[in-house]
Amino acid sequence: MLKDAEKSRYSRQIRLFGEEGQEKLKETAVLIAGAGGLGSIVSIYMAAAGFGRIRIVDCDKVELSNLNRQVLHWNDDVGRNKADSALETLCGINPEIEVEALVETISEDSIDRLLHGCDLIMDAMDNFPTRYLLNQAALRKGLPLFHGAISGLQGQATTVVPGNSACLRCIFPRAPPATIFPAIGATCGIIGSIQVTEAVKYVLGKGELLENRLLLWDGLSASMDEVVCERNPGCEACMNINNQS
Amino acid sequence: MIIALPDGSRKEIATESARIEDILRDLGINPVEVIVAKNGRIVPEEEMADSGDELKVVRVVHGG
Repeated sequence: MLKDAEKSRYSRQIRLFGEEGQEKLKETAVLIAGAGGLGSIVSIYMAAAGFGRIRIVDCDKVELSNLNRQVLHWNDDVGRNKADSALETLCGINPEIEVEALVETISEDSIDRLLHGCDLIMDAMDNFPTRYLLNQAALRKGLPLFHGAISGLQGQATTVVPGNSACLRCIFPRAPPATIFPAIGATCGIIGSIQVTEAVKYVLGKGELLENRLLLWDGLSASMDEVVCERNPGCEACMNINNQS
Repeated sequence: MIIALPDGSRKEIATESARIEDILRDLGINPVEVIVAKNGRIVPEEEMADSGDELKVVRVVHGG
């Protein structure tokens, strides 16, 4: 049941999907992997929307060079753990939800523990090796994975529902070279917002998810495109996952 | 064959049939950095592309 304060806080989105929909968000626990540029947008919008339990994980400290895009963290947060800064910001945005912020490295050893009790996974990482770990864990546990990545004015997003859709390995069989990527906050805003929209749709069972589609944002031309992807029967990550559809 | 490149430009090349991997190499593109859609669908670089096909080369981004 929603409290009166929650009904008031969420009144504009209750117009969109009813109290029943809002309660579904409240009952949903999410893992947000990363509290950087994408993690800022993803966590802020998920907290504001009322996802009931948010666990956000990042092992880094806030640096001055993060502040052009990582809007979870403010000037006074430089030098603090990103997780601590994230906790403060998210609780400040919405005290009605539970937020857990962990200073941890996402690894093969930690991922199952970090995912314990979570219903969905938000990919806000900055590298493919960790994304592949999230992908593998999503497949193993049957949890949806909402992928986003950016560089400069470009971004991409897709949604992986294990058993229904191409996994990250099917779409990206090899990790692109790790480089220091250019980044502007507005691109994180676009891609992170798409990821949250996908998560809301998934929880509510509304609309068409970005399954088997890779959405491509090009800020230079201000255009979105998409390419179709499909499960690779020989995919090393998901070949043993049964089709659910 | 029409190829849409990551910088937004389009290029037409006259070839009957070629492996996508070889097309990328001829264009000076490192296959590790991209994925390729043939007629709107992502395909492995080992796949062949024919004269009537349209390729889109997508530079994979990894930042967050």
